[in-house]
Parts: sequence; C-alpha cells; structure tokens
Amino acid sequence: MIEALAFYIFSSIAVAAAFMVISARNPVHSVLFLILTFFNVAGMFVILGAEFLAMILVVVYVGAVAVLFMFVVMMLDINFVELRQGFLNYLPIGSLIGLVMLIELATLFGSWVVTPVIANRGLMPTPSPDITTNTHALGNIVYTHYVYLFQAAGMILLVAMIGAIVLTHRNRPGVKKQDIGRQLNRNPANSVEIRKVEIGKGI
Amino acid sequence: MVEIWDNYGLPMVWMILKIIAIVFPIMLSVAYLTLAERKVIGAMHLRKGPNVVGPFGLFQPLADGLKLFLKETIIPSGANRGVFILAPCVTFVLALIAWAVIPFDKGMVLSNINVGILYLFAISSLGVYGILMAGWASNSRYAFLGAMRSAAQMISYEVSMGLIIITVLLCVGSLNLSDIVMAQREMWFIVPLFPMGVIFFVSTLAETNRHPFDLPEAEAELVAGYNVEYSAMTFALFFLGEYANMILMSAMTSVLFLGGWLPPFNAIPFTWIPGPVWFALKIAFCLFIFIWVRATFPRYRYDQLMRLGWKIFLPLSLAAVAIVSGILVAFNLTPNHG
Amino acid sequence: MPFENLPDLVPVLPEIFLALVIMSLLMFGVFQRGGRAETDVNTFRVISWMAVVTLIVTPLLVLSLAGSTLIGFGGLFISDPFSVFCKILVLIGSAGSLVMARNFLEEHDMARFEYPVLVVFATLGMLMMISANDLISLYMGLEMQSLSLYVIAAFRRDDTRSTEAGLKYFVLGAVASGMFLYGASLIYGFAGTTNFTILEQVLQRDTQDEYGQSLGIIFGIVFILSALAFKVSAVPFHMWTPDVYEGAPTPVTALFAIAPKIAALALFMRVMVGPFGDLISEWRQIIIFISVGSMLLGALAAINQRNIKRMMAYSSISHVGFALMGLAVGHDSGIRAILVYLTIYLFMNIGTFACILAMRRGGVMVEAIDELAGLGKTHPLMAAAMTVFMFSMAGIPPLAGFFGKLYIFLSVIQAELYLLAVIGVLTSVVGSFYYLRVIRLMYFEDPDEPLDRPVSREISLIATLAGLVTVLFFLYPDFLVLSAATASSALFLN
Repeated sequence: MIEALAFYIFSSIAVAAAFMVISARNPVHSVLFLILTFFNVAGMFVILGAEFLAMILVVVYVGAVAVLFMFVVMMLDINFVELRQGFLNYLPIGSLIGLVMLIELATLFGSWVVTPVIANRGLMPTPSPDITTNTHALGNIVYTHYVYLFQAAGMILLVAMIGAIVLTHRNRPGVKKQDIGRQLNRNPANSVEIRKVEIGKGI
Repeated sequence: MVEIWDNYGLPMVWMILKIIAIVFPIMLSVAYLTLAERKVIGAMHLRKGPNVVGPFGLFQPLADGLKLFLKETIIPSGANRGVFILAPCVTFVLALIAWAVIPFDKGMVLSNINVGILYLFAISSLGVYGILMAGWASNSRYAFLGAMRSAAQMISYEVSMGLIIITVLLCVGSLNLSDIVMAQREMWFIVPLFPMGVIFFVSTLAETNRHPFDLPEAEAELVAGYNVEYSAMTFALFFLGEYANMILMSAMTSVLFLGGWLPPFNAIPFTWIPGPVWFALKIAFCLFIFIWVRATFPRYRYDQLMRLGWKIFLPLSLAAVAIVSGILVAFNLTPNHG
Repeated sequence: MPFENLPDLVPVLPEIFLALVIMSLLMFGVFQRGGRAETDVNTFRVISWMAVVTLIVTPLLVLSLAGSTLIGFGGLFISDPFSVFCKILVLIGSAGSLVMARNFLEEHDMARFEYPVLVVFATLGMLMMISANDLISLYMGLEMQSLSLYVIAAFRRDDTRSTEAGLKYFVLGAVASGMFLYGASLIYGFAGTTNFTILEQVLQRDTQDEYGQSLGIIFGIVFILSALAFKVSAVPFHMWTPDVYEGAPTPVTALFAIAPKIAALALFMRVMVGPFGDLISEWRQIIIFISVGSMLLGALAAINQRNIKRMMAYSSISHVGFALMGLAVGHDSGIRAILVYLTIYLFMNIGTFACILAMRRGGVMVEAIDELAGLGKTHPLMAAAMTVFMFSMAGIPPLAGFFGKLYIFLSVIQAELYLLAVIGVLTSVVGSFYYLRVIRLMYFEDPDEPLDRPVSREISLIATLAGLVTVLFFLYPDFLVLSAATASSALFLN
C-alpha cells in the first residue's frame, strides 16, 4: 500500500512539475520545477528498486546538468515573454499535430498485439535484488556484454568535449596570465639589482 | 486499525525518534562549533575569544541564536519572494538529510542503503542550489556574483571529489558506507591513498565554501556574497546549514579515509572506547583543521581557485583512479563481493 | 588474470585502429600547441596528412575481414561483405574530402588540428553505423558521426552562415535522434530485443501471420525510417540540407555530400532488409513515397539555384531518391544496384567538389554558378573535368552515372514497379536540365574575370582520378558489379 501511495505521489508531482516547467513565466522557476521533476523521477526509480540509477540521476542531472541550466538562465537576460509572442499564432497548428499524435498513440495502444515469441523474449530475467546489488548487476553487464557501447559512449563524450573547445576556445593575445612556474623560479639574484647610489648623483 | 498502527504507525514513531536522536546532537554541535571556531581562532590570534556570556562564554551560541530568532526577517522589495525564502530552507534541509546514511557505529545508522556513498555525494552536490537560489532571488549584484562564483566553484571541485571517491570504492568493492568503514579494519585508507585523502579534504573546503575558498562570501569584495540580503531566521538557517555541512563533510572524510567509528588500533585500550566516540573525535579533528586553515591561509584568487580545481586536482585524481585500479588488478587485490 | 574472457576483437579491428589513431593524433596535436600561428598551421598540416594516411591504411584492415561474416561483442557488431564494401566507400570519401580540405582551411584561417581529428571521428562513427547489428550500437555510431559533423559544420565559427549551418544541423539532427530513439524504444517494447539477428527471427512473416500484426512495431519502424530519412536528407526530411550545405565551409560540404550519405544509406539498407525484411509490404510504400518525393524535389528545386553548393544539395537529394528506389525493390538485385550507384556517386561527387573547391578568385572561394561562365576558355582542363561530372550526374552514356541509374532501373523494372521507374526516368530528364546549364555556362558564355589560375596539386589530382574513374568505368564494370553482388547477397544470407 505504501508503495502504491508513494508511486502516486511521486508520479503526480512529477507530471505536475513537468507541466509547470513549460508553463512557468519565469525561466528560473522553470528550472526549479525541472529539478523537482527529476527528484520525483528519482523517487520512482527507488520504488522500482533501481537505487543506483536514482542516485546517478540526482548526481548527474540535478547536481550538474540543471546547475548549468540554471547558471545560463540566470546569466542570460532573455525576455521570455517576448519569445512567446508567436505562441498563439502557432497554437492551432501545434494543437492539431498534437491531437493527431494523440489519436495515433491511442490506436497504437488500442491494438496492442504481443505475439508469444515476443512475449517469451520479454521475460528475460533480470537478477533479483536479493541476490545481487544494483551496482554489481550493472557493473557485470556494462563491462562485459556492453563494453563496446560503453567505450563508444566514452568516445562520443570525447567528441563533445573537443567540439566545445573547438567552437569556443580562443587564444586571446595581450591577456595577462599568471605563469606560476615562472613566478616560482624567480629569485633575488635574477630579479633584483642592487646598486650603490652616490649621494647627489642619482642613477 | 490496530494492524495499521502496528505495521505503519509504530515504525514511523520509532523512525521519528531516531531522526530526532540524530538531528538534535547535530544542531547542538553546530551551535558549539561556532563557539569553538571563535575560541580556536582567538587562541591562534593570541586573544581570548568570547568569554562574557556564561562560564568561559559557553552560553554565547545560545545568545546569538536567540538574537537572530527575535529579529525581524526583512525581505527586499525587489526580491523574488518564494525563491528567496526557499533558498535557506533548501540549504538547511540538505545539510540535515545527508545524515540519514552516515553510520555512527556498526549497525548504528538510520538507513543502511546499498548506494550510501552515492546518496551522500548527490546530496552534497545539491548544496549549490541553496546558494544559487539565494543569489538570484536577492536581486542584488553582490549576492548574484557570490552565487555565480559558488556554483562554478562547487561544480569544479565536485569532479575531483567524485573521482577520489571512486578510488576509495575501488578498494572497497561496495557503495555501502558501513562496508567502506569495515574495509578499513586493517588500515585506514588515509595511509594507502594518502595524497587522495588530502585532496579530498581540500576539495571539501571548496565544497563548503570555507576558507581559503570562501570567495562566494568574500567580505572584502562582495560584502557577504550570496547572503548579503538575508537577516534574522533566514540568515540563521544559512548559517546553520553551512556549519552543519562542515560537520557533514568532516564525517564524510572520517568515513572514507579515517576509518569511521573504528579505533586506530584494534587493541585493548582503544577498543574500550565505544565507536561513536571515536567517530566524534575524528569529526572534531577534521573540524579543527577546518578552523585552523581559516586562521592561517589567505583567500585564493578566483582564477587560482579554478586552476587548482581543474588543472591540478582533476588530473591528479584521474591519474589516481588509473593507478589505483591498475595496482589492484596487477596484484590481484580487487575486493570480491557477490 | 582478468584477461581470460576478453571479447573477440578481430571483427572490430578497423574501428579500434581508428580510435587509437584518433587518440594519438589528439594527444600529439594538444602537446604541439604553441599558440603561435605558424606552429598551429604546421601541426594542422602534419596531423592532416597523418589522418589521410590512416584513412588510406584502414581499408586494408577492412579488406582483411572480407569474405566472411563475423559477429563481435555478443551480437552488437557485425562484419560481413556488405559492411566491408560500404566501409571502403566511406573511407575513400573521407580521405578524399580531407585531402581537398587542407588548402582551403589554410587559406581561410581555419587550419586547426581538430579538423582532421573530427573528420576521422566522424568516419569512425560511420564505420560503427555500417557495422551495427543492434539498435543501441546503431545509435552510438549515428551519434558519434552526427556530433562530429555538427561541430565541423560550424567550424568557421566567426562566420554567421557557418555557425547557422552548424546550429540548424544540430537542432534538427537532435530531433531526428529523438525520433530514432522513440522508434527504437517502441521496437524494443514490442519485440523484446534490440538485436537485429533476433529481431529478424521475432518478426518472421509466418509468426506475424499467425498471431496478427503488432501495430507498435510498425510505428517503431516508421519513426526509425523518418530518422534515417533525415540522416540521408530524403524528402520530406530534407529541409536542412540546402542551408547546411551552403553555410558549411566547402570541404565540409564535400564531406557531407559523400561519406555520411553513404553510411546512412548503408544503415538504411541493413535495417530495412535485415531485421524488418519480412515486413517489406508495410514499409515499401513509405520508401516509394520518400523516393519519389526526393527525386521530384531534387530535380525541380535545383533549377532555380544560383549557388553551386545549394545546387549540389538538391542534386544529392535527388540522388538519394534514386538510391532509395533500389531499396523499394527490397531484394538482392535492388541492394546490388544501390551499392553500384553509391560507388559511382562517390566518385562523381568527389570530383565535382574538387572542381568547386578550385573556384577561387583572389584567394577567396566564390560559390555562384555564374562564376563558372567561360571556364572552357580560361581553364579548359577543369572545365573538361566538370563537364564529365555533370554529364555523368545527368546520366549520359557511356559515363559512369548512366550505369548507376541503369542498374537501379533494371532492378526496379524486374520488381514490376513500373510507375516508379517511369517517374525516375522523367525526373532524371528534368534533372539533367540544370546539370547541362552548368556546361552551357562554361562553354557558351564569356567570362567576366577569370578564376585563379594555379589549382592546387591535391585538388587537380583528385579531380583527375575521379574523372578517370567516371569516364573509364564502362570498360571494366564487372569488378564493381561483382563485388557489389557479393556484398548485397551477404544481407540475405539467412
């Protein structure tokens, strides 16, 4: 009973918050609602017994991605009211497309046929949480069966990193930069010159 | 009715009692941490520190708390009201809920979850929200600058913190905090992972916005940074949250590197002292270093802070992950679980 | 030791080789960086040539796997004659575009070593796409390729049109990826697997007949089809193509027109005739629609273009339409025709873009078609090459392009899709109008001001090679046709 209750609480808050993300006037509020959505989704993962995913969701999405979102939204002075000006113009065609999609999805679920071959395949057992922990189960798969995908994902992230640097990094001339090695290598012998000044003559 | 009470009511009451048993000592330690900080810094400056209210100034924290409690909460007219009030609450709550997974002794933990360390890491990475929200909602340039600095700083240091946690996890083979402590029975991790422990501690300094990385509230440039507009209880919540975070980070360092509740040697005179006391002593030691650092080091410049995080700590901890896992595999030391 | 259950790495050898080379080139480039302009250009030059050498060596590794079907990583990866054939095409295309790019990038102040690295990255992604035997590995390859291409589309970051191209490509590409993922999740949800081999068994005709069609699978296929159509820029998902082709730096456009197209079409073929092969009656009409739309739009919209890169964009759309016609056939002969077509398309396009890259005046690229006026008098050789490519694209015998179209039409007629064949012939007649217009401009108009004279060595070399292949193809078509036949039959083995 508690589980069902928790599920309904998490899912209803998640949906409500997701709706607020797109309807909030203030972009910062949108990001805050987005975070709320993430939290509730993490909560649902916990109910499913996927605690590792839940924590990773919080660490990655809430702890890093949403912070950067928030960072950008706060820094940029975007007038969102202005951006929404065209919203009403596109509303009819947009809602029409949405309606078509909805009907399509409805027909899709209305004619749900699962052949026995498929049904049998869908019953591939996942290890029971009593035998192994989430982390072990994931580790056992990610580094064996899916090592190819794991490495490929790593390469994709590398591309993203190179891309970000290529598109934004500039070598600006004339900017003073601290060169710590040089600072530490300075000593009195090569930076200070002591001269005896005779009185009344100057240097 | 009785059944529901037995199944749900009683455990809940029991749980609430346990929570109170954890939160109350923490709040008390926060109060006395502020006093200890002023006393220790006073001693280091060859002053006396607070000594007027009560014997040796022991009632000083209570007087401070009472003062903040009785003052009026001022909300700036340009502020975004909801977020403005939410921010200190977030900071404070986050500092407290992390304690749910900290083990005080064998089996003495509120919630012994399998991914304890991830939970702890997740909660500590959320700390930035309180500050960001405060800085933005205050509608003040100082506060905003402080929040921006803080966000960048906390994200930067989280990266190396995460990697160092991975080196520890490699040696343990479990994400459960009790397992992490028990893996240190033979030797505290500070010894085999020595430089990592230090880097971790320095990163926690940055993560809690403490000296020498307290740029978000650098009073010389930003007046008081993100909490410049806060007063009375809202300010008190920030203050409590910040100090509770310090204690939490000390607890995390103790669990990861100083053997948690374990005595330094598994021999008679040490084992007489109960685990929670050892744990408290270790936390106190870390807190002392927090204060010691504050009294001795000048503040970092912002670019130096970023350089330290990205160009020194990150490569070092990345290398550490590679080296530690390499050694574990090469000498067949990988921990075996399940 | 923990190495005893290492996966079988032999089928993935070319990809691993490329990945290692990328990493070493990257390290080399990063540590060479002096911050001074000359050293940067030098680094770029060195890394560029090393990347070209890599792309030339890799086909040898690929060839070493020819002739057998190997499955790697527990079914995630497949190396068969089909993948070998397509990989070699892609590698030739990438290498060619990289060779042509060097001069352009140096002259336009974009000589940064990341460019060749990203091109090799994209190539790696394409190889992974071609060899994917699972929806997840397909997605990984697709993303790696697309992400690198987004970046190099915006590589000229101070130019608004280039950044616009990059951004447009990125946003629309992200939508396409989203559609793909949605479709893949539907397929997974209804079929219980993402592996192509198992999907093929699950979706066999007889089981489908016995228990009824699962609509969810069809929905999934439609979504995946749309995403793939986006990647090959087929109508109605072609909108990004002209803008991106026009905005991106020309060598990047050359790459876009060649390698990713081939890779995406290879993917298209593998996905459609492999796991979904038994559902051909469901997807054939979609392919026919896409194909007809692409041919029509490519032929009609190109007529009005003033910019040669835009014209090439529409030309590539119509070529994709022709190629997809072969897919609508759905069996062996259609796939073989597509492979032949793609090979010829590769050489025609490399050659054309070599000529476009040679269109410079005062050291600056010019892109208007009118600039070619009088080329026959000022640059007779270049004009001759361009004529060959244009005639070939229009499908004039005995040039290679004619044979490409011939094989496609033959297979379509064999499959009794007569209407499709008629539309194909008609659009190809309309399309030849704008190809011939270029030739008319070159020979029958007077030049305003001649283009720059010495064309760089690499570009003339590539144009010559591509021209020779295009002209002399009819002498010895057997080699290509036979290897394409081997490759295509590999898709229908089981």
